[in-house]
Amino acid sequence: MSFLAPSKLSRKKRGEGTLTEWVIEKLLFISAIFSVLVVFFILVFLFGKGYQIFEEVTLWEFLTGDKWDPVGQNIEEKPYYGAHPLIMGTLLVTLGAMAFAIPLGIGSAIFISEIAPPRIRDFLKTGTELLAGIPSVVYGLFGLIILTRWLQINFDKPTGETWLAGSILLGIMALPTIISVAEDAISSVGKELKEGSLALGATKWQTITKVIIPSSISGITAAVILGMGRAVGETMAVMMVTGNTPIVPEPITNVFASVKTLTGALGIEMGEAPVNSPHQHALFALAVVLFVIVLSINAGAMIIMKRIKERHYGIAGKKKGSRVLPEPIKNFTDSIKNFTGPIKRHMDTILGIFAGIILIWLLTSWFGIPMGLVIFFMVIGIHFFSQSLSPKNYQTMALGMVTLSIIIVLFLLGALLYYITAEGIHALSWEFLTESPRNCGREGGIYPAIIGTLYLTLGAIILAVPLGVGAGIYISEYAKETRVLKIIRAGIDNLNGTPSIVFGLFGYAFLVLYLGLGVSMIAGQITLALMVLPTIIRTTEEALKAVPHTLREGSLALGATKWETTRRVVLPPSMPGIITGIILSIGRAAGETAPIMFTAVVFSQPGLPNDPSDPVMALPYYILEMSMNIPGGQGNAAGAALVLLLLVLSFYLLAALIRKRFEKALKGFR
Amino acid sequence: MKSNIVIATKDLNLWYGDKQALENIDMSVREKSVTALIGPSGCGKSTLIRVFNRMNDIIDGCRIEGKVFFRGNDIYDPSEDVMELRSAIGMIFQKPNPFPKPIFENIAYGPRVHGINSKKKLEKIVEKCLKQAALWDEVNDWLGDTAMGLSGGQQQRLCIARALAIEPEIILMDEPTSSLDPLATSKIEDLIYELKEKYTVIIVTHNMQQAARVSDYTGFMYLGELIEFGETKQIFENPKEELTERYITGRFG
Ligand SMILES: Nc1ncnc2c1ncn2[C@@H]1O[C@H](COP(=O)(O)OP(=O)(O)OP(=O)(O)O)[C@@H](O)[C@H]1O
Ligand SMILES: [Mg+2]
Repeated sequence: MSFLAPSKLSRKKRGEGTLTEWVIEKLLFISAIFSVLVVFFILVFLFGKGYQIFEEVTLWEFLTGDKWDPVGQNIEEKPYYGAHPLIMGTLLVTLGAMAFAIPLGIGSAIFISEIAPPRIRDFLKTGTELLAGIPSVVYGLFGLIILTRWLQINFDKPTGETWLAGSILLGIMALPTIISVAEDAISSVGKELKEGSLALGATKWQTITKVIIPSSISGITAAVILGMGRAVGETMAVMMVTGNTPIVPEPITNVFASVKTLTGALGIEMGEAPVNSPHQHALFALAVVLFVIVLSINAGAMIIMKRIKERHYGIAGKKKGSRVLPEPIKNFTDSIKNFTGPIKRHMDTILGIFAGIILIWLLTSWFGIPMGLVIFFMVIGIHFFSQSLSPKNYQTMALGMVTLSIIIVLFLLGALLYYITAEGIHALSWEFLTESPRNCGREGGIYPAIIGTLYLTLGAIILAVPLGVGAGIYISEYAKETRVLKIIRAGIDNLNGTPSIVFGLFGYAFLVLYLGLGVSMIAGQITLALMVLPTIIRTTEEALKAVPHTLREGSLALGATKWETTRRVVLPPSMPGIITGIILSIGRAAGETAPIMFTAVVFSQPGLPNDPSDPVMALPYYILEMSMNIPGGQGNAAGAALVLLLLVLSFYLLAALIRKRFEKALKGFR
Repeated sequence: MKSNIVIATKDLNLWYGDKQALENIDMSVREKSVTALIGPSGCGKSTLIRVFNRMNDIIDGCRIEGKVFFRGNDIYDPSEDVMELRSAIGMIFQKPNPFPKPIFENIAYGPRVHGINSKKKLEKIVEKCLKQAALWDEVNDWLGDTAMGLSGGQQQRLCIARALAIEPEIILMDEPTSSLDPLATSKIEDLIYELKEKYTVIIVTHNMQQAARVSDYTGFMYLGELIEFGETKQIFENPKEELTERYITGRFG
């Protein structure tokens, strides 16, 4: 029925309009549900292959067996599938990494959000992002040629490829996650709260420790957990520096022991294990273990983050984005204090003694008894000395420590960039960039690897963008808060937390073997696409959500349909944000090794691939092989790493520039 | 001066989830008049005028009972086309919400989504609407510039021009001047007075003088109910309900 005299405006037929609308909504929905399907398929394929190992061993033997020797290189020539040393390896390396990353990360976050002046803050944030953008194989190379050598010489050990090296490297890699999430949490503490504390005569440091940190403690916890998830799932860097001996260190505090992690075992052995052999099944079972560990870690972080969100925006607040509500958080921390209040005094003492004993034990086992005791008493001395300081001097010391942590982080970033450049620059030449490798890559160049990386990345992006942007649009514009949306969100979160090596295994099992694509460019492109999908979805969703709601209402009130509104009013101003996400994904896809290692790449190939079913060369894999398996290849590995680094960083720089402009463009609305 | 009724509600109830926001609203709006809705914050004024162009449809958990008639058709009847309804009933929001596009594109947006693409026609519409909204003289040399650069008052008049471009019969205004300074406000009020010649206007306002100045009819709402509805003169000079009188004279709460 019409409300209008037909003469007024010539309208297009609405019947067609609604059909288009319907089709578009369904397409968007399909792209959103796709992530859930992928997670489901990953699980199916990992389990499907992995459970077959239980024809050889029981679950209990598999998890607790302390001998990992799937090839049977022992006198009995009998294979052993005990994952215990690998699980321990992963745990130890991760714990060690956290010991570095937690103090440095939280210290840096405090510095960035509370101490640094705005200009320096921007600079530091960019630095942190740079750290996050460096490909893990480049970290690995740095670890292999700089860190392990340094450890070997300074601690006078036969080799530097140790648990400690893995922990240091993983610690550095987990830093950006910890810093950025913790910084977000800390800087979202309300200004009134800080001013309230300062107005009571508290020093800045007292305000930080007594008000700001307690108010943001859940966010900081989430930051640590997320950093841990990142560390557990990391493959390349770890397997390049830990020496890969599947034995639990003896004694367990021996940080100079060589260890093998779950990811390390997958990365190294997957290529060697015959298809459908028990060895391969055992590796898939390891992947399941890894997946479960990482997902439960990430689920923990998600639950904490969700609680924070609810507290911020919950019941009382439709005030989205307002940062004024730490009151509930305060109540929450208060209630914890009340709960623990009576035992708190003793807790401190008990914890102190406990920590002291562990510290003595660790120090004496690392440095020998006399040296360890000296260090221990120095630490105790500093502790009591600091207790006797006036609040003001104490603050100076504490702020000094915080500043020191950010300096260390910057130093690490600088050292990494410097050494990769210094080692790699010799290899660079016109020939290196434009020729094919000869003599196992020791001569010639990396041209096919550069082109291969570009092909892989481009293909991945072409596949991922429509799906990712579509899903982002669906979630932000179309979805209602229903169970289906919860499932979609969970799917995307899980996909986001999935370690890249797991994507690699999935791609191998599903694309290469099951679908019969073989080791091919297309298999690598699809695997990489799945990996970057969650990034694209999230940045799209965020960019769309940043568009004020009033614009949508304005358009709908003019009689525009949902899709017209989305396409003409909501998408244009969010384009820069979406493009930023796409560029970040390009950078990520270009630098990843694990997803393509078993699906797409070969070490050496004379020419370029002719069609998508051919395998390709790729920079990250070339770096890995040159540094690990080709004697005398480290120089060219560094050269390729420099090229890869420049490639990836230029993408990140581009993304940062676009985002800057984006922020300016959106200012008009606020 | 009794004209036809264009909009009428019957036993209208509305809930946001479990919370009832409108209760048994019965009111009718006359053609080519200005109707003001007044009442304390949170009483449901915005909710009510958003019922008329079904903008509440986009809110999760919003549920409606009763009937709303536009020219005798029940607008919540499933066979009715929301897009068509909204192009017959324009809306101006509390905060000006021009699109981040050139001025020209802002006004051409409505006609475009309704299928008008000829440059000539669009130019004509843009000029006509800007003139109607008393903005033409201020912006005619800058039609290609982004609308975000205009002042708040200009932006609001642009939004009015944008609404006029789809040739609505009714214009809904939700506190259109609450974010503007007195000068810009009086310009909009003059405009409303002129619009009455051709359109039916329903305006929500917190400003009692404004209601008295611009409207022919006034409804007073309180806690989701329409307490009193009648000619503006009568409501302001001789309210029947004590609540209305107390609100109008400022002895409220
Ligand atoms: N989207 C929503 N979800 C839930 N409750 C809502 C929503 N929008 C409005 N309400 C509630 O409905 C009631 C009426 O709100 P409405 O915005 O219509 O009031 P109002 O009279 O326009 O107030 P104001 O003068 O402050 O604009 C209020 O109690 C409000 O809290
Ligand atoms: Mg309102």
